[in-house]
Amino acid sequence: MFRAPLTKVIQGRFGSPTHGITSKAIRSSAALSQTPAKAPEKIEVFVDDVSVKVLPGTTVLQACAVAGVEIPRFCYHERLSVAGNCRMCLVEVEKSPKPVAACAMPVMKGWRIKTNSEMTRKAREGVMEFLLMNHPLDCPICDQGGECDLQDQAMAFGSDRSRFTDINHTGKRAVEDKNFGPLVKGIMTRCIHCTRCVRFACEVAGVEDLGTTGRGNDMQIGTYVEKLFLSELSGNVIDLCPVGALTSKPYSFVARPWEIRKVSSIDVLDAVGSNIVVSTRTNEVLRIVPRENEDINEEWLADKSRFACDGLKRQRLVAPMVRMPNGELQAVEWEGALISVAKAIKDAKGAVAAIAGQLVDVESLVALKDLLNRNGGETLCTEQNFNVKGSGSDLRSNYVCNTTIADLEQADAVLLIGTNPRYEAPLINTRLRKSYINNEMDIASIGPKIDLSYNHQNLGEDAGLISQVCNGGHPFSKVLENAKKPAIVLGANVLERPDAAGIHTTVASYCKKLNKQGWNAFNVLQNNAGQTGALDVGYQPGTQAALKAQPKVLILLGADGGKVDREKLPKDCYVIYIGHHGDNGASIADAVLPGAAYTEKQAIYVNTEGRAQQTLAAVSPPGMAREDWKILRALSEILGTPLPYDNLDDLRNRIEDIAPHLVRFGKLESSTFGNLTEQLATSKSIENTKIDVKQKKLREYFMTDPISRASPTMARCVREVSGEEAKEESQRQAAC
Amino acid sequence: MSFVRQILAKTPQGVHWAKTVSNSSRCMSSVGSRDAPPIDVSQVIAQPEELERKRKLSGAITVPTKVDLSPISGVPEEHVKTRRVCIHLPPKNAMQSGTDNLNHWVIEFDNRERWENPLMGWTSTGDPLSNMEVTFGSKEEAIEHCERNGWRWFIDAEEKPKVERVKNYGLNFHWNRRTRTSTK
Amino acid sequence: MAGREAVRKAVQQVRPILSVDREEARKRALNLYKAWYRQIPYIVMDYDIPKSVEECRAKLREEFERHRNVTDVRVVDMLVIKGQMELKETVEIWKQKGHIMRYWKESQDPKPTDFLSKFLQGVN
Repeated sequence: MFRAPLTKVIQGRFGSPTHGITSKAIRSSAALSQTPAKAPEKIEVFVDDVSVKVLPGTTVLQACAVAGVEIPRFCYHERLSVAGNCRMCLVEVEKSPKPVAACAMPVMKGWRIKTNSEMTRKAREGVMEFLLMNHPLDCPICDQGGECDLQDQAMAFGSDRSRFTDINHTGKRAVEDKNFGPLVKGIMTRCIHCTRCVRFACEVAGVEDLGTTGRGNDMQIGTYVEKLFLSELSGNVIDLCPVGALTSKPYSFVARPWEIRKVSSIDVLDAVGSNIVVSTRTNEVLRIVPRENEDINEEWLADKSRFACDGLKRQRLVAPMVRMPNGELQAVEWEGALISVAKAIKDAKGAVAAIAGQLVDVESLVALKDLLNRNGGETLCTEQNFNVKGSGSDLRSNYVCNTTIADLEQADAVLLIGTNPRYEAPLINTRLRKSYINNEMDIASIGPKIDLSYNHQNLGEDAGLISQVCNGGHPFSKVLENAKKPAIVLGANVLERPDAAGIHTTVASYCKKLNKQGWNAFNVLQNNAGQTGALDVGYQPGTQAALKAQPKVLILLGADGGKVDREKLPKDCYVIYIGHHGDNGASIADAVLPGAAYTEKQAIYVNTEGRAQQTLAAVSPPGMAREDWKILRALSEILGTPLPYDNLDDLRNRIEDIAPHLVRFGKLESSTFGNLTEQLATSKSIENTKIDVKQKKLREYFMTDPISRASPTMARCVREVSGEEAKEESQRQAAC
Repeated sequence: MSFVRQILAKTPQGVHWAKTVSNSSRCMSSVGSRDAPPIDVSQVIAQPEELERKRKLSGAITVPTKVDLSPISGVPEEHVKTRRVCIHLPPKNAMQSGTDNLNHWVIEFDNRERWENPLMGWTSTGDPLSNMEVTFGSKEEAIEHCERNGWRWFIDAEEKPKVERVKNYGLNFHWNRRTRTSTK
Repeated sequence: MAGREAVRKAVQQVRPILSVDREEARKRALNLYKAWYRQIPYIVMDYDIPKSVEECRAKLREEFERHRNVTDVRVVDMLVIKGQMELKETVEIWKQKGHIMRYWKESQDPKPTDFLSKFLQGVN
């Protein structure tokens, strides 16, 4: 199951003949496209007598992968450094007296690698025997059972009998369990010391909490002293662990891998748009794991996205509700709710406004806009502000990450302004960290002093520093100007300030100077998944317009940020909430129409770099909840102005008419007109106040949206992390 | 023998082969090689129209390229018109390192409601297509299958060339780079 | 939505099933229709169904009309084969009364077709 040598594939023993041919074609085309223009000459090696050409410096394991042979491994991971300590990847190389560790050994010209020879098999069998000797036989109660690398590889490469006899009845090696925090469960007896988790923590997460103590049989993985593994990426060690030593705490003893259904989808709890796989059983989302996407999340996932899924089952709106004269919200049938809502909209005679929230999808945004326009309303805004007048939200390059997430890891000088990517977009922070490690990148930040998980220079909190840097008068300006690939990242919160236009223009015009051929340095880091999509389809940023219009009817489309309250609205304003959680929005509403969360609908979301992707429905909406755009479509019919789309395809066609890039999923459209910004912009003035970021500490990361606010796991994280942070703080003070 | 011939005669190449097969078997069965070839009685007594029809049946007919099998596939109409098929590459399981079961395309239907059956706690569904997962060697085969059955489809994956990474054990011990590992 | 690929060629050459051209397929379909049409009085009598001969003939016509836009000769042939099987099963009384009555789908609630009633009932 682990190996499909190319020879076999060619002979068509695997699957249909066409299957063989296509997979070969994929492989060879992949090999071709890897060749850069001026690549060093490739060397030829033979894997099981099949010739492959690889770049010099390629490891044996990678060369075998090119040939379509997968070498068993435990410690080796593509995105982590080479450790070479599990010895599972031993293979025979002709004329070498001993087997070589494929993961660490670079190939030499003309090597003949034998991945299925007697020596290789014996080596694997021996390694497996040693591993199993110190591994408990608790697969039946292990959460990893069924998707365990050790289990599978023991079946494929292990011996069929054991020589391990516990002759003195001392029991197998046992290790004390450790408390890694509310998300990761550690059963350390199962650990095979691959050190993937240690390397992940040090290299990717940038938290040097995990490490090994002792050696030989006494080796243990742990946090040295008793403390929690505090990271916003801690969940990834669960995936990395090839055995069941690190498993998911909220998911423990919940389900087996063969009883769950997997649906590929997109995460919306931050604006990165990470690719995920939603595991479900009986119409219930059980867990979320990352899906590989080289352009966005590689194969990591932030903790909030991974563990907040239990919030999808709590605080849900399951029936339409209308506020009764006594002030109570009462559940009613859809018909009644739609009629009373339609009556309110009719009575408003066009004095209707709408505010779109954090997690809204493009479909419902477009449906709402069409609905309002048909009923005389023009005021549609987003909850999050983007206070840039002039060109502002009209030009796409003004509000997206123009450098793109994948390219940020090539940057060699980065300035962060009023953003904490570590908590606003953890997976963008891993890119920056990667560049910090591999490219010797210089990073500076303007804003409060924060821990970014890598060393950076804090220039200060003054907003005045922005113009100082952008005028070239600051030492860091030299760094940016001398860099080959500089980038400036503006936080979305900075652009909510009153002087946002000034900051935006100053930075944008400076970036124009920094831009190189094929490199755009200007980035806005959004932190709401719905924001880019909303601006793309023409919503006005900020709630001011809606509040200033003093509407008779206000539609809140998933607006739960708490930026609108009753005091700011006229007394007789009828508030309609469409969304999935009973949060801030629903509490002030006169009518509540229950919608679907992101795992329950096929919907488009645009991430912070402007990449449109679609979620797929993994489960159906609970109770009487319906997909958001369908609610709006039904409402339009009752209003007598039916929207011209009855199904998703028609609606997508409508979206394509408005903005064709929104239906080209996964593709990135390059933003043009970057040069116009400056000409259209008016003021460049920046108020000399302090720049702040919202999420400074880990405890502030976990609850940022209605789903994570409803999640008990996230609540537990906040509790335990704040306790740990308080403990660390007091220890630090005691030490002083 | 006639059965063999009937089957083999279905393809033009088969006809030729059938002849050789029947020849050789005849050689084995008959005593002398000078025997007159046996005469197929049905061939001789057949009317010319009948022969013409046979000839036509063994030829080809012209039909539209777009084949619509939905009237004869037996799938209820509501499951042809309202379903949306996702054609995708199965994603790698994040929990494991193996990749061997990923090199094919899969079609999957949109998810309909499922619920826990109160009897045993198993999953129930009212959707006959919910368990249908068909694998294909290529995207084109999958598309053709959907087109033939009249399902609306979309593609939810793209084949991206694998990124080649330089892995170097020595980087862990590099004297002045940040890749140097402090803990191990 | 990923767009459907443009049809490259309008027609293709394939092996026939029963009929070599549309005319022949049409004849087969008509023959099947006639066979059913003649059998209907006996079916009504044998199965003792609460339908009149006229109603059955209307249903027969409806079932045939449902596939009137099928152009592929092979699909027509397959439909004829299936119809022939159905006829045989019916005439030989291999079916039961309920099987015949199922053509009218009387026990099924009609599903809503317009958007609003689908929305209110929560069907896809």
